[in-house]
Amino acid sequence: MSGRAVYGIVAREFLRFLRQRGRVLASIGRPFVWLLFAGAGFATVFAGRNEIDYRVYMAPGLLGMVVMFGSLLAALSTVTDREAGVLRMVLVAPIRRSTVALGKTLGATALGTTQAVAVAALMLPLVHLRPTLGGAGLALVAIVLSGLALGALGLVLAASMRSIENFAGVMNFVIFPMLFLSGALYPVRHLGPVLRIAVLANPLAYGVDLLKHALLGAWAKTGYGGEMPVLLDCAALALFALAGLAGAAPLLAREGGLARAAFRERA
Amino acid sequence: MTAAAIDVRGLGKDFGAVRALDRLDLEVREGEFFGLLGPNGAGKTTTVHLLATLLAPSRGTARVAGHDVAREGLAVRRHIGLVFQETTLDRDLTITENLRFAARLWSLPDRVARPRIDAVLRQFGLWERRNDSVRGLSGGLRRAADIARGILTEPRILFLDEPTAGLDPRARRALWEQIRGLRAASGVTVLLTTHYVAEAEPCDRVAVLDHGRLAALGTPSELKRAAGVDSLEEVFLAHTGHRLPEGEGDGG
Repeated sequence: MSGRAVYGIVAREFLRFLRQRGRVLASIGRPFVWLLFAGAGFATVFAGRNEIDYRVYMAPGLLGMVVMFGSLLAALSTVTDREAGVLRMVLVAPIRRSTVALGKTLGATALGTTQAVAVAALMLPLVHLRPTLGGAGLALVAIVLSGLALGALGLVLAASMRSIENFAGVMNFVIFPMLFLSGALYPVRHLGPVLRIAVLANPLAYGVDLLKHALLGAWAKTGYGGEMPVLLDCAALALFALAGLAGAAPLLAREGGLARAAFRERA
Repeated sequence: MTAAAIDVRGLGKDFGAVRALDRLDLEVREGEFFGLLGPNGAGKTTTVHLLATLLAPSRGTARVAGHDVAREGLAVRRHIGLVFQETTLDRDLTITENLRFAARLWSLPDRVARPRIDAVLRQFGLWERRNDSVRGLSGGLRRAADIARGILTEPRILFLDEPTAGLDPRARRALWEQIRGLRAASGVTVLLTTHYVAEAEPCDRVAVLDHGRLAALGTPSELKRAAGVDSLEEVFLAHTGHRLPEGEGDGG
């Protein structure tokens, strides 16, 4: 394992992100658009309950959404790396495929975490949510673990995609279901058994649940806080991250995966 | 006679039913300037990718810098530099940032990397443009940056896969000048692939590849003498029964 190579891969992810001003603005602005428009609408539905301001309820979920977009999209940039040829240079470097997978995942995690922390600093005061010190610490753990899980799984997804044109499919069949079945926008405990299983298979659900533990502790008794044990959330996220890393490394090495597509002889 | 930098025995590669490389035997000596000449689809790039451990061989073996490509990929990659047919630079980063990225991938400490980056930037005429985004560079400068990236890690063996493809004649000449200077200065072993006959002319030895098979091997003058002809173009014709496709102008 080469620490310098991992650092190099992470540093490049950051440089690229900062160069793409549109991406920075979109990632910071997106949750506020949701807060403003979805928040305004759903708040009226929730209003009668008089238990929690919907915008407060939304805040942990929106932070989870920021991590998801940040980490997943960063991991998916591996597809662009392949199309642009950069991946070839990475694969010819004297490092293991698992080092490449780890570097990419850590880069995605670092980007997702940075974005989520920046959004949290702006959004939590806006909705008058003041987490305790312990809550803030747990929220950071939730963000980092979610970033690792989603970054690693995004890498697996990227390794099995031929081109970024599949991106609309990823949006419709991965990102949106993940978001809606995460508890970010509504409590998922009342869902039917089938969707309930889908929730349990959704890494973001554990991340959002952990964020609710961290930020909505005061509403725990009213049923709006975290629903699953904190340790289960952490363990599930760690498991998703490890499974993703273990899955991505051989996919990167396999000829049928990224390497093959990147090196096929043009006949 | 020095040890072989590259030792290839019965090496072959299939992509599904397509036999990209049949069975290749050749030896490249330490410090040699070796040319793989053949039309597109002859198996040149497949050969380079097999030797660089980016593809797994379907049959045969190859040792690069003394290491087996199938079993010791990491050790092989430690000793080689590879300049791909198409650029591998990150277009959103500057030339310097790209070189720094490569240096880190090769685990060079900063204190080693920094002077080397400065040196290759000057050597390849990129110094003035070092902080420019790659996106805005001409094809010639991009290629120069690719090669600078390839030699930054001071490889023992440098693969140049169609390095002049898509360059105008002037950029091509400049590139050959740089490769000449590089060989004179470092004694690096260079394996060049090309479909321009003129580019194979200055090589120490040339292997002619056609349809995934080795058609001829020798120094340019040996090949011409053996075939009783005056040019490598005719050597290719004599061995394969067909001509190389027309090059796009001056080959260097």
